[in-house]
Parts: sequence; structure tokens; C-alpha cells
Amino acid sequence: MLLLLLGFLLPAPATAQPQQPVVRVGTEGTYPPFSFHDPQTQELTGYDIEVVEAIAAKAGWRLEFVETQWDAVFPALDAGRIDLIANQVSRNPERAARYGLSSTYTYSRGVVVRRTGDDRVKSIDDLAGKTTAQSSTSNWAKVARDAGARVEAVEGFAQAAALLQQGRVDAIVNDNIAVLDYLASTGSRDVEIAGDAGQAGSEQVLALRQGDTALLTQANQAIVALKADGTLRGISEKYFKANVSVPDGGDADLSQGRGSRSTWEVLRSTAWPMFVGLVKVTIPLTALSFAIGLVLALLVALARISPYKVLSGLARAFISVIRGTPLLLQLFIVFYGLPQIGLKFPPFTAAVVAFSLNVAGYAAEVVRSAILSVPRGQFEAASTIGLSYPQTLRRIVLPQAARTAVPPLSNTLLSLLKDTSLGSVVLLTELFRESQLAAAESNEFLALYSFAGLYYWVICVALSAAQKRLETRLNRYVIA
Amino acid sequence: MTDIRIEVTGLRKSFGELDVLRGVDFSAPRGTSTVLLGPSGSGKTTVLRSLNVLDTPDAGVVRIDDVSVDFSALPPGKAGRAEAARLRAQSGMVFQAHNLFPHRTVLQNLTEGPVVAQRRPLDEVVAEARVLLDQVGLADKADAYPYQLSGGQQQRVGIARALALKPRVVLFDEPTSALDPELVGEVLAVIKDLASEGWTTMIVTHEIRFAEKVADQVLFLDGGVVVERGTPGQVIGDPREERTRRFLRRVLEHG
Repeated sequence: MLLLLLGFLLPAPATAQPQQPVVRVGTEGTYPPFSFHDPQTQELTGYDIEVVEAIAAKAGWRLEFVETQWDAVFPALDAGRIDLIANQVSRNPERAARYGLSSTYTYSRGVVVRRTGDDRVKSIDDLAGKTTAQSSTSNWAKVARDAGARVEAVEGFAQAAALLQQGRVDAIVNDNIAVLDYLASTGSRDVEIAGDAGQAGSEQVLALRQGDTALLTQANQAIVALKADGTLRGISEKYFKANVSVPDGGDADLSQGRGSRSTWEVLRSTAWPMFVGLVKVTIPLTALSFAIGLVLALLVALARISPYKVLSGLARAFISVIRGTPLLLQLFIVFYGLPQIGLKFPPFTAAVVAFSLNVAGYAAEVVRSAILSVPRGQFEAASTIGLSYPQTLRRIVLPQAARTAVPPLSNTLLSLLKDTSLGSVVLLTELFRESQLAAAESNEFLALYSFAGLYYWVICVALSAAQKRLETRLNRYVIA
Repeated sequence: MTDIRIEVTGLRKSFGELDVLRGVDFSAPRGTSTVLLGPSGSGKTTVLRSLNVLDTPDAGVVRIDDVSVDFSALPPGKAGRAEAARLRAQSGMVFQAHNLFPHRTVLQNLTEGPVVAQRRPLDEVVAEARVLLDQVGLADKADAYPYQLSGGQQQRVGIARALALKPRVVLFDEPTSALDPELVGEVLAVIKDLASEGWTTMIVTHEIRFAEKVADQVLFLDGGVVVERGTPGQVIGDPREERTRRFLRRVLEHG
């Protein structure tokens, strides 16, 4: 224990004993609860991290963590840039043939999850004719289908659990560790593990280079010792409220405490990430899309009222298409569709492109009618004093058109602010996405979505107030 | 030799099926006031707007001072627009509805054209504009917005705005028709002053008594042609044409 503590407190080489070998550990760092950064302290932590730290303490290693994407972690091991992988590596024949795999430190298996106390679902055999919620891409969807269940596609276990809890589906088939993680982190008692999914379980191990037998032996000895002295069980129960270091760790024991947080605590810890999502993504996305959209709208409006038939026809077609198709679809075309013809944007750029085109389509009609609302005499007076058409627009017509355009454009802006929540489906971690992530972790859907709504609402109220001031300003030369 | 400032020959204009001008010819010497009379639809406003190229004639030649445009041979596109702009720059226009820029102060209304279009230095333009405002009796309204003025004051600003361009000719399109009767006098007084100061003016109006006093020549238009042309004494005092007499009778009865 003392050594473990030392490992934590004294990572600097100067204080380490010279004979301690440095072991470089490859891990994702973005895979909660196994390997992730604590949102408060930013420290790398997690179940796998604590396990490998305990092993290091027993084996007398000094650890150096190398955070690597999953795709790159085995190549890094091959290339000798890391010495072992601690990242829920499952044992399989291919890996066993190529790598030195340690003793198992985690056992997982497929389980059937039901609403607590729902006796109709006891095992995989009861799923025939019932509905389950599954991630459409997971193997578990296939297992459920093979058992005769109808499968509703969802994104992630939290959403599946919410549907189950609300009675919209009858069961979920999933990996027990994901279920235990969900139960432990949300403290939910509304769903429970009903039984085994009847699949072969899987074993998670450390992966080392094949020739590294000395290190492998040390690791295996440490794992045996940690199992014997209850250390692994302790780490497992800390994260999952169950012992996943033995083949049948059973259900989560949520009897005492179970680490769930109150609604208030969840809100308190989520308020800041949501605010960051608002300030760093939602607001810049709105502002940028609106600014670009307005410029485009002006060009489209001018094209629309121009005497050139081709130009006005194109503008009319653009407006018609933008207004005649769903915004979500436009966003999907830009984000998922355009890469197929070689136009690949990062999420934020894709969202700006889609949203500003959408704003342009709607605002063009507003701008056009605002320009046309300026009396003909103003155009004539401007022309008579020698102003060119661009000068007339910029100096005489647009300032007056603004008066007419501000109220409807404000509506466009408010809609846009709220529509940026659609960015959550193109990998943008904006305000709404933050609340979704937090809700998935805590099950506090009502509280978190309401809270996110409050953020949107406050910004909308502020924008409306700004609109009032702007209108007053623009009216100053009309109303005495 | 008389110095002919405006010369119009064979001016034609139709709006769709409607032939508004069917060959208008006239000329006006420098420093004179020409009043255009005629029933509504006679084409008198279109003549005025043609001089300023607010309406582009289909045919005919318009010359103002040394700029002459043959609309029968106006090149298309940019070159044509440039020619039109040169002719337009010769005249200042005063509209029936004044068409002041509501979002600009009185002074800014005057300086807009000279500074932005003519690219003259601001301080020089402002100084001239203040003189013009003084001339139309509105020196104290330089920083007011148009909505803060009476109709007569607005129209006087409209006149000053036209003068600020230093045009060869000032065109007035029914400058008092939109005004309350008690405000007509102040505007007419300003126009009369201009005429006596040597400005070349061309005025479309229904104010017959005013026309008699201010005009050097009167054109009576009907059906898109000049029916009668002469001094106020001739055209208004002793019209030869029946159409002129009928028109004058009707206007004078109601006026």
C-alpha cells in the first residue's frame, strides 16, 4: 500500500530507486471508466489504470503512461514504443499467438437486463417476441435478434436503459461490465441483470511483446498476489460495485452507498461543462453561422431581385431547396454526404457550412422584402445625386431596410441558436451534447435537459433584449 | 447669340403599350425658367425624368450644356450607363415627395452626393452646404432629421440637396403638390429666388399663378407632344389652342 502510495506521489525519476525498471504502459485515456482523465483533477485514472498501478507496485516497476488511440496501440507495442497495454484487451487466439498475454484480471460476459422485478424476462430464452434496445452496430444486437427479439436501435447503454426503464422496450442484451458501470455510476435500481446471455465470456488481460517473458512473469505473479490479497476485488468494487476479477462476479451490490450522486450534485458538476459547451461551441457556432449566413443572404437577395434571369432563377432555386428540406438533412448532407465527393470538413466547419447556408436561405427572403420595402423614391433620390448601385445599397437602402429586417432576422437568429443543438449529431460537443453525455452517465434526463434548456432560454432572452435596443436605435430617425 | 442650356429633340418614350412621349422638342436658354403645364398623363413628368435619366427615353436627343446623349443610339450595358450618368450629373432633381434620406441629418442629406459621388473634400462641401441651407432659410436645422421638419421645410431641404450638386439645371417635379396649402408659399418663394439668381430651372407644376410670375417660357403638353410654347403671357394669358384653354379653365376653377 505504501509502495502504491509512493508510486502516486513520487513519480519523478530522481526519487525512484535506480534498479526499478521503467515500464511504458499504452492506454487510451479516453475510455471511461477504464482509462480516462478525472474531469476535476485532469489526472489519468480508471479501473485499468489502478489495476496496472497495483501490479507495478507489487512487481516493483516504475510506470510511464503513453496515451495512444486504440487503433495505434498494438503497432506501438510492436514498435517498442510501449511495453504493455492496459486497456481492456480481450484474450483471443490471434492475440495469444502474437503477443504475450498476462493472466486474466477482468472477466466479462453477456447478460440480459430487465426492468427490476419483471419476471417475464429471466434469461435469453425469454426474449423471443419481445423488444430489446441495442446499439445497432454491436454484436449484442445480433445475439438479441438470434434469440427472436425485435431490436430497437439506440446510441449507447444509457439510452437503452432509459427506454427499458420507461417500459418502451422489454430487455437489453449487453456486456455485464457496461451494465455494472451504468448501475454503479447512476445508482439506478430501476433495471437489473436478469441472467446470462448464454455467450462465452471474455477475459481481459495485459498485452506484452511475446519475447518479454521476464516482464510477463512479473505481471502474472503480481496479478495472482493481488487476487489473493483482495486488491483487485477492491478496485473492481470501487468502479463496478461487483467483483469482475473472478469469472462469476454476480450482480452489482448496490446495498450500501453505491456512489450515486444526487440530482443536485449531478447538476452542479455538469453546469460548468455545459457552460463551456455553450461558450466554446454553441455561441461561436451561432455567431459565425449567422454572420456568414447574413452575407450570403444579402447576395442571394440581390441575385433574386436582379434583372438577370439566370441569376434570379438560381437564387430562387437555392431558397426553395433550403426552405423545402429539413435542416437535419442538410447537416447530414454536408457532414456525411460531401466527404463522398471529397469535401471533408471537421465537425465545426461542417456545422458552420450547413447552418450558414440554411440561414442564407431563410434570411434571403427577409432581406429581399426589406430592400423592396424601401420606397422607390429613395433609390431615385440616390441615383439622382450620382450614387452608384452599390453605394445606393450600402449607404441609403440597407440602413433603412435594416429597420424592417431586424425583427424577422432576430427570429432567424433565435431559431439558429436553438438549432445548433443538432450539431450534437455531427460529433460537436456543444451545450446539448454535454447535457446528453451527463444524462447518459447519471440517468438525470429531466433535470439535465431542463437545465440545458435554461441556458438556451437565458441566451434567447438576452438576444431579445438586444433586439429591442437595436430596434429603438434604428427607429430613432422615424419616431419623434 | 443665345446660350441654349437645354435642348431636347424628338424625345420618345413608351411604357409597354402606352406611348407617353411622342416626339417632344424644345429648348431653354441659360438662366431661364421653363414651366411645364399639362393635364395628368400628358407626359410632362416623364420629360423631366428623362432629362435626369430616371426614365430612359426610347429615342431622341437630350443636351444639357455640353453633354449630349442620343437615346436612339445609346450603347447597351456599361457604356450606356456611363453616358446616362454623365447626363444625369448635369441636373439636380427636386421630387414631389422630397425623398430626403430619413436616416441622415439635413446636412448629411446635402453632403452625400458631393462627397460620395463627386468625391469632393468634406470640409469644403460642408461649408457650401451651410450657405445653401442659409439661403433656403434652414441654417438652424442642419443637424435635424427630416422627420423633425415641416413639409415645407423638408421640400426646401430637397431643393438645397439638388443645388449642392452644383448642377447646370435644376428640375422640379411638382414640388408643391404634396404640401399643405399654407406651406406652398415658402417653397415657391425659394424657387423664385433661384430663378432670379440665374439658375436654369425647369418646373412641372399646377400652380398657374406662380408659373405666370416665374416662368420665362411655358410649355403646354398634351398627349405626349408640346401643344403650345411661349411666354406666360402667350400660353397662359392668351392661349391659341383649345386644349390649352380647356386645361387652364379647369385648373383655375379648382385652384
